Amino acid sequence: MSAQVLVAPPDLPVTTAGDREIVEAVLAPLRTTPPLWWVLFAICAAGTVLWLGAVVYTVAAGIGVWGNNIPVAWAFAIVNFVWWIGIGHAGTFISAFLMLLNQPWRAAVSRIAESMTLIAVAIAGTFPLLHLGRPWFFYWLTPYPSTMGVWPNFKSALAWDVAAVVSYFIVSTTFFYLGAIPDLALARDGLQGRRRRQVYGVFALGWNGAGTQWRRRRAALKIIAGIVAALVVSVHSIVSLDFSIAQLAGWHSTNLPPYFVIGAVYSGVAMVLVLVVPIRRLYRLESIITLDHLDKLARLLLTIGLLLTYCYVVEFVIASRSSDPLERTTYLQHWPFGYFGWLFWLMLVFNVGTPQLLWSARLRRTPAVLAGAGVAILAGMWLERFIIVVASLAQGALPSSWFAYRPTWVDWSILAGSLSLFGLVFLLFLRFVPAAATDELRRDRFERAARVQR
Amino acid sequence: MGSLFSPRANRSFREASVLAAAILLIVPLALWAFARTPAATGQYRAYAQPVPFAHTLHANGLRIDCRYCHAGATTAAMAGLPPTDVCVPCHLDGLLRSSLFTPVRTSLTTSRPVAWRRVTRLADFVFFNHAAHVQHGVECDTCHGPVELMSEVYQAAPLTMEWCLQCHRAPERYINLRDTGISGWKRTDVARSQATVRHYDVARLTSCTTCHR
Amino acid sequence: MSVPFDEMRNRLGADTTGSTIDPIARRDFMKLLGASLALAGVDGCTRMPASNIHPYVHQPELTPGIAQHYATVMAVDGYATGLLVESHEGRPTKIEGNPDHPASLGATGVLEQASVLQLYDPDRARRIRHDAASASWDALAALLGPESLASRAGARGGGLALLLAPTSSPLEEEVLHRVLERYPDAHLCFYAPLMPALPAHVTQWSVGDADVILAVDTDFLASGPFHLRHARAFAGRRRPESAPGGMNRLYVVESSISVTGMGADHRHAVRPRDISSLLERLLAAIAGESRPSSPDDQWLNVVAADLRAHAGRSLVIAGPLTPPAVQTLALAINQALGNIDRTIWFTRSPLAGAGGSNPSLSSIADRMRGGDITTLICAGVNASYASEGRMELGAAIRRVPEAVYLGLYEDETARDCHWIVPAAHYLESWGDARAYDGTLSVVQPLIEPLAGGRTLVELLSLLLGDAHVSPYDLLRDTWRARGDLARRHAFEDDWRDVLRRGLLPGSGFPRESAPPSPSPIAAAMPATAPFDVVFRPHPRVRDGAFANSGWLQELPDPVTTVTWENVAQVSAATAQRLALTTGDLVDIRVEGRSVQLPAVVVGGHADDTATITFGHGRTGAESVARGAGANVYPLWPGDRFSRDVTVSRASGSRQLAITQPHRSLDGSAAVQSIDAGAHAVARPDTARPLPLYRAPSTGDTPSRLQWAMTIDLSACTGCGACMVACQAENNVPVVGRDQVLLGREMHWLRIDWYAQPDAATTPQPMLCQHCEAAPCEYVCPVEATVHSQDGLNEMVYNRCVGTRFCSNNCPYKVRRFNWFDFNAGGGSERLVRNPDVTVRERGVMEKCTFCVQRIREAEIHARAEGQALRGSEVQTACEQACPTQAILFGSLDERDSAMMHARVSERAYAVLDELGTVPRVRYLARVRNPNPALESRA
Repeated sequence: MSAQVLVAPPDLPVTTAGDREIVEAVLAPLRTTPPLWWVLFAICAAGTVLWLGAVVYTVAAGIGVWGNNIPVAWAFAIVNFVWWIGIGHAGTFISAFLMLLNQPWRAAVSRIAESMTLIAVAIAGTFPLLHLGRPWFFYWLTPYPSTMGVWPNFKSALAWDVAAVVSYFIVSTTFFYLGAIPDLALARDGLQGRRRRQVYGVFALGWNGAGTQWRRRRAALKIIAGIVAALVVSVHSIVSLDFSIAQLAGWHSTNLPPYFVIGAVYSGVAMVLVLVVPIRRLYRLESIITLDHLDKLARLLLTIGLLLTYCYVVEFVIASRSSDPLERTTYLQHWPFGYFGWLFWLMLVFNVGTPQLLWSARLRRTPAVLAGAGVAILAGMWLERFIIVVASLAQGALPSSWFAYRPTWVDWSILAGSLSLFGLVFLLFLRFVPAAATDELRRDRFERAARVQR
Repeated sequence: MGSLFSPRANRSFREASVLAAAILLIVPLALWAFARTPAATGQYRAYAQPVPFAHTLHANGLRIDCRYCHAGATTAAMAGLPPTDVCVPCHLDGLLRSSLFTPVRTSLTTSRPVAWRRVTRLADFVFFNHAAHVQHGVECDTCHGPVELMSEVYQAAPLTMEWCLQCHRAPERYINLRDTGISGWKRTDVARSQATVRHYDVARLTSCTTCHR
Repeated sequence: MSVPFDEMRNRLGADTTGSTIDPIARRDFMKLLGASLALAGVDGCTRMPASNIHPYVHQPELTPGIAQHYATVMAVDGYATGLLVESHEGRPTKIEGNPDHPASLGATGVLEQASVLQLYDPDRARRIRHDAASASWDALAALLGPESLASRAGARGGGLALLLAPTSSPLEEEVLHRVLERYPDAHLCFYAPLMPALPAHVTQWSVGDADVILAVDTDFLASGPFHLRHARAFAGRRRPESAPGGMNRLYVVESSISVTGMGADHRHAVRPRDISSLLERLLAAIAGESRPSSPDDQWLNVVAADLRAHAGRSLVIAGPLTPPAVQTLALAINQALGNIDRTIWFTRSPLAGAGGSNPSLSSIADRMRGGDITTLICAGVNASYASEGRMELGAAIRRVPEAVYLGLYEDETARDCHWIVPAAHYLESWGDARAYDGTLSVVQPLIEPLAGGRTLVELLSLLLGDAHVSPYDLLRDTWRARGDLARRHAFEDDWRDVLRRGLLPGSGFPRESAPPSPSPIAAAMPATAPFDVVFRPHPRVRDGAFANSGWLQELPDPVTTVTWENVAQVSAATAQRLALTTGDLVDIRVEGRSVQLPAVVVGGHADDTATITFGHGRTGAESVARGAGANVYPLWPGDRFSRDVTVSRASGSRQLAITQPHRSLDGSAAVQSIDAGAHAVARPDTARPLPLYRAPSTGDTPSRLQWAMTIDLSACTGCGACMVACQAENNVPVVGRDQVLLGREMHWLRIDWYAQPDAATTPQPMLCQHCEAAPCEYVCPVEATVHSQDGLNEMVYNRCVGTRFCSNNCPYKVRRFNWFDFNAGGGSERLVRNPDVTVRERGVMEKCTFCVQRIREAEIHARAEGQALRGSEVQTACEQACPTQAILFGSLDERDSAMMHARVSERAYAVLDELGTVPRVRYLARVRNPNPALESRA
């Protein structure tokens, strides 16, 4: 293999044996596929078929096949949408924010996190579409010169949503791709098979590791990182506006935007843990994704968990002081003791209780525990969205309109199916894209070595 | 080992990228344009009618007022098509006996209606009211075109909502003083039309329920 | 309908000529149905397949696209209610009340509103059948013709039985008379399950003149003959501002809960067995000889005092289904109070055969079983279903060799008869009928019989050997012969006048001297049994005759808001004793027969008593009614009290399609009520939450007309007529039980019931409030719901993509969503659709539009006439149907309209005002008029 593949960023000394280890470790998954991969792939494929079936059935028969009703006109689809968008935050957060903050440890997980982001956001995007009564007219939400001579309503947060999510997806994709180019080049030069290498070659855009390329890439990444960092905040803020611009008690609250962003990153980091822990086992990446990395993620999780807890406190304190009787009853009666009271308490256990485990250094360095915590928090965040969306709607301003909600098998299938779809695409990513940024890893390693010498 | 790509690779890659960008740009524009073509709106589409009724003869030649056959135009939502027996008074038996009138004769004998093809069709959720327009200075031809010159009646206007709104947003540009009766086909000057708007006290009717109920 | 009434009347004058044309020409109307459908906008989608236009061949006196109105009457249990029917190109689509008619006064009830759907019911009997095979009218004529009938039933007709629904039609009476002249021994029996007897005299009440009313086990405000009139008069005394002679006070004594009872100032729940004794003690108390012993008596004494204080201006009403003893006592009390000929008097009964010796149904059944009936003609009453179980009438009818059934449906009775003749719907028939007070009207058809239906007159004429009688001619002959027409002008003029007005003025019966007062007999009550069962007509489908109407099945029961089935209502205490909760099945056993029903626990029900309703559990060929609820007729002991009653918890429970699970206010100020202490009006209790937002600037209002509505909770009884009227006017679909279970009923206008601490339950019609600052509008991403220049909250179905955000953001939750394509498919019932209203597609939101189609039509009409439209000239469907005029509609610019007077009244308030939505609908606080003497005790 030609030496140039290992040409390092100009600010690093010539490559060492350690660098080769890193590259080999990262390229390994592209060379060999462990049997377990096939097992997981089969499972996810089956789930995806279920998803497809449920989606087709919904579009063919109508939203009525879901459990939604009046007053609960929004339910699973919106909950899932917000949940997936939230998960889609960690990637860019970890990459962009931590990059701007010069946190080299992010290198190990950034690629995984970013790809997770893309997949999650894409899946999230399907829900609002599917959720429309007449999805075939979805384009009426976009501003275009129609023969009807009318435009979308720019006052509605739903119209902003479209813009926010789409732009977030585009920018994240660019960010992800720019970061991956050198590693795609590695694959181009490091793998066997002409066709295969050609494909990687096309995506590598002729990367040859010249110093100028490295410099421009780094500059571009910095700029986009800045943009994405802003988007991370804006997207979920705007998603939260879907609720806070409404007058409905439980939605109508000005602290929703920050609260949503924090919650989003929370679930995102949790998802990263859920993915990283098995992957490092599956592909023997323990040397790349070390316990130190997991420990850092765990600390991050704990911190955000505490932030979120603070948000909860603030929200309920404000509600309890509110002059709006509806707001008081919604937060202090309907949520904790209403139709879905038990889910509310379960949510608190998951979101507030789980992170407390991570005060213990020992648990922070126990992968299984971290994965478990991740799952619990993901569930908790899903429940949180369910409480906000469904519990608030079910018991509104007029007691006469109160009506409970029960999901149907279609609702469950679409939720489970979306998870499978996520798994399916993610497995493909692992199979074909280098799972970590080698250049970052090498810089990280070099700098740590330098620190040791001093 | 040989090089992975041919020397032309970079060039063709660039060309491909440019092409992709072009498509992204052109497709929406094409759609935007197509939606306004007769192919999409049905404008100028004519239908063969069961009876070869000649508006050229009746409306232009004999100057028969539109309302003689389309009696509802001034009073009802529907302008209406004439009952079969409306043909009878004028047309002598001899004429009626000609093969052109077969559908009319069968209709009269079996007392089943003549099945005319609908030329000007609005969606079912559009509630157009002829009386409201005709009574307030909108000439027949404003929407139906020079029917008296059509050998085969066709849909004169695109009938898109945008088209309706042109007038509903600025009536003074379209309505006309009813001087020569319903079948006066004159486009008059704007100043006169503005006077007309005042005369009929036409409002800018842009509430949705003006047409959608 | 958007024009002033006199003008409409003139228009009717023109229209009726159209209705008197030779019925054959009416067939042309039928041909139009196809075209009309195309115009009705049956789908909301933009694809426009090529289509045809079918003009008339010979155009009748109408302009396509302009609706016509004809006057006719609908009879329920024989008593007529005057109607004006809207017709589009010969297709009746909407029923309104006839303001001139004493039984309507312009209003309608749920049954009248729903009757138009029955006309197009695809399940209606469509052909004459002899057992399995189709048969011809002539074959039937041969069967019933004099010679074959005489040979079978004897020359004097001893083997002939006529089992008919009660009728007030002079025409039918005349024909029956001829039949009986020819067959003097024939057995004629009038039967209706809800009409125990046919007394010679009927009681008339002047509810409006009564200051104090005691209603005993009756729902006189929401059912029974003249209930529209009574409700109007009653409501007139519930508005303290305008009530002549101040507010009235309503005491109610009843076992089960009625709409009337829920609105009472004081309600007293008593077991049915105790009612007569309670009335006896009341009578004694009024006579002044009584000693308080039980709390009951204390209550009684207060009521007695109140009644005595208003002697001559009070009224005691006993329900038609109460035992004779109770009715006698009620009469006695009225006499003791000197109410006779003041608030209550008597007239001749308008029903045929009233006062005569009407044989009991069981006697007829015995004859049939005995085999001495060889020919039975059963018409208008589904006797096999709607009769006491122990009578086993169905089996008896099957014994009759030639049983002929004339009915709308192939129902239970049809199955027991050999011959079925499809009956003509009243909208398809020529005939006549009398109102409860005797006022005479003509039943005028709007359309040729869709299913080749025949009238009773045509069928009976067969017995006289006349196979091809024209009911129209026969009707005119009898009227001409009776001569009460040809007074002023030639017969034709008077006849036209009657058709135009829909009634013969001054044909009501005169007051009769009171029948000799029977001495109060001690009511023969059985010794105490552990349980009582009260049988009641279902508030919607009544005795079962209307069970196949989706509109009525889906109309929530006012007491339980249960749809699509019947239940057993029990009190909380009883439920506790039986370890029941709502939905649990109970086994009700009467004299060995038992039926299982889901229980519903209701507050204010008499203890140890269960209320069950007729009308469900149909097993006929009616697809809508079949499988809905359980049939309780088998348990019914008729007008006897049964001693042998057990009610027990059965295993299992059932999920009920309840539209309003939560009936308490929970601190909400949605309904507000005030006490009319000394008949003075106080402001509604200002426990109202303070506004949360600055009053929004609702922008300039470019249009002079600004539409608005007021709803007077003090006048509203909660009868539900507005809901059906809205459904009929606006093509609101029926979704079925499964969808109601999922909370997806589509009613644009619903009635919320709030049980208040004082036990009175307040109905609140809830519809789109057309907020000036509407929360739904700014959240719609596609501008599918926006504000019009004249203050309407518009809903544009064809722009809606179905995000449903508007519904989430609507604090009143009055928006409805088409979860499925509820309007797809369907048979002839599609013909009932209003062509002026879009039929909504799957996936779009819909809601009340203030009947915008009527507003726009009125505007266009007014502009054509060159006159300025006045807000009060437009009536919404709910307003027009409302018996009590609780709903008023109009424009804010018309300061002197009734609506604006109500709007500025001190009682006016906006629901959820604190949210700053500035609703265009204002409610008037409910005014209670409790008796201080009882309040202090409570």
